Amino acid sequence: MIKTLNRWFEWLLEVASIILLISLALVVVLAVIFRFSGSSLVWYDEVASVLLAWLTYYGAALAALKRGHLGFAGLFLALPRKIRSLAFVLAEFFVISFFLAIGWAGWYLLGVFGEETLISLPWVPLWFTQSVIPIGAALFIAAEILSLPDAWHKALVGTDYEKQEIEEAIEEARQSS
Amino acid sequence: MTIAFIVIGLFILVLINVPIAVALGLVAIVGMMISRGYDSVYNAALTMFDGATNFPLLAIPLFILAGALMNTTSISRRLISLTSALIGFVRGGLAMVNVGVSMFFAEISGSAVADVAALGSVLIPAMVRRRYTAKLAAAVTSSSASIAIIIPPSIAMIIYGALADASIVQLFVAGIVPGVLGGLAMMALCYWHAVRQDLPREEAFDLGRLWKAFKEAGWALMLPVIILGGIFGGIVTATEGAGLAVVAALFIGGVIYRELNWKHLRKAMIEGVMQTAVVMLLVATSAVLGLYLTEIQVPQNFARWVMDLTNNKYAVLALLNCGLFVIGMFLHGAAAIILVVPIVMPLINQIGIDPIQFGLIMTLNIAVGQQTPPVASVLVTSCSIAKTDIWETTKVNIPFILVLLGVLLLVTYVPAVSLTLVDIFYK
Repeated sequence: MIKTLNRWFEWLLEVASIILLISLALVVVLAVIFRFSGSSLVWYDEVASVLLAWLTYYGAALAALKRGHLGFAGLFLALPRKIRSLAFVLAEFFVISFFLAIGWAGWYLLGVFGEETLISLPWVPLWFTQSVIPIGAALFIAAEILSLPDAWHKALVGTDYEKQEIEEAIEEARQSS
Repeated sequence: MTIAFIVIGLFILVLINVPIAVALGLVAIVGMMISRGYDSVYNAALTMFDGATNFPLLAIPLFILAGALMNTTSISRRLISLTSALIGFVRGGLAMVNVGVSMFFAEISGSAVADVAALGSVLIPAMVRRRYTAKLAAAVTSSSASIAIIIPPSIAMIIYGALADASIVQLFVAGIVPGVLGGLAMMALCYWHAVRQDLPREEAFDLGRLWKAFKEAGWALMLPVIILGGIFGGIVTATEGAGLAVVAALFIGGVIYRELNWKHLRKAMIEGVMQTAVVMLLVATSAVLGLYLTEIQVPQNFARWVMDLTNNKYAVLALLNCGLFVIGMFLHGAAAIILVVPIVMPLINQIGIDPIQFGLIMTLNIAVGQQTPPVASVLVTSCSIAKTDIWETTKVNIPFILVLLGVLLLVTYVPAVSLTLVDIFYK
């Protein structure tokens, strides 16, 4: 059940992130073409920056699902098993609490923006662009919860995600060479 | 007291394996709530969003995507053939090929691990077959990959430039001379090893073979020429150059080499998104910590504290280099830059150090950090491929680390090494 949900969630995040990345690349390339043709796009800076922020939040949830965020597992894995389990629970509590706070504040802020819009595109409301704060926080929490069983298992047996990533990268490189 | 709270808080969170990005944000939010009340959390959420909209950082996902696209093609094999045809006739030529290709290729995709895996999985077994010790093969692969961090385009320099408000283009230009010097010094070291251990030459120099290899790798070589030429020539900005890099990588991989398919493309894009998001979340949460540190005047107090110790520019740089060396041993490159730059920049500006020069110092320290355990992902990847022990390999790697440190000292105490090209073209 969790595995199926995990796969669907991963697919959803991948699709959203890929769409954002392609959009960002297209916006930048279009901006270059328009600038050379003598009519720069006035909305380029603002839209590209918002796309980058969206890419950050959606991509961060995807990285969380794969437990890919930078950490320092060396000390954690050196802890005795019982203390490591306790540390794992505490770490999850802190991560989820952080994004709960950010998500709640982001949700509150959407109401504060009212009728405000982007400067270069007055038909795009700020609540729409900033909606990524609560949505991104919710996605991060969901990713953290969905990857929890696997992460718990790996923490107990002492698997190092960085080591795993290195092994996967080497295997991929061997296959393609 | 507040500093103690930040340091201890960060240490405990990192110890229990909270992601560094979350640890930075969490310490900042708790600190802000203690000093200014619960409303600070709104400010933190907004600052995190603003932190992720830092315009110069737009170049990161695009350069990473271009690099990931190139990684999925046979670019590494083509570059190895070309460099081998060019310098393989020298004694220890294969080790020099490793250095030469790494200077071009490493750090290209933003994932040092993926880049070293791509090169190392071809070159390390080849070196071992040619009588190089596995430890030397791992050491050469690892350390030459790290010198590439200062050769443009460099993700570390983009992050530094965005955070320090320094010109990314000028940072790229400033990295050329130290990067080439470091590469040549490493090649000289390879030659010394080759003579001492009687290592073989590859094949004799053959103009026909060189021309054939050049034709095969020509398009791959055109990519940096077009992009960096455009950026250095002032035709496009660093961000626009990164956008063009994506188009060029798609064209070369898909149309010229015909090696890109949807599976490759999808994998490259997901890789690009993940690498970008990991760095950008760090940037976003460090913006919250930066806000908190500025509120309690940590950067200003740090500058005052150091200036009380000494106001000699070179002594300050020596202190900073020592601090960065230690930080580099325990933190990944991006995290180290993001954490350190906002704290030290007031000091750098106050004491009159050129931010471009300091950018080079910062990135070279990151390069050294990639080679010094316990946190040394580039070295770990090389050792995993070569199946050697990290600490034993480190012993062989020491002369190569000394080369990196030598370049660092040169950049630190002879500013002309990094700044002359910048002065010629931009001042």
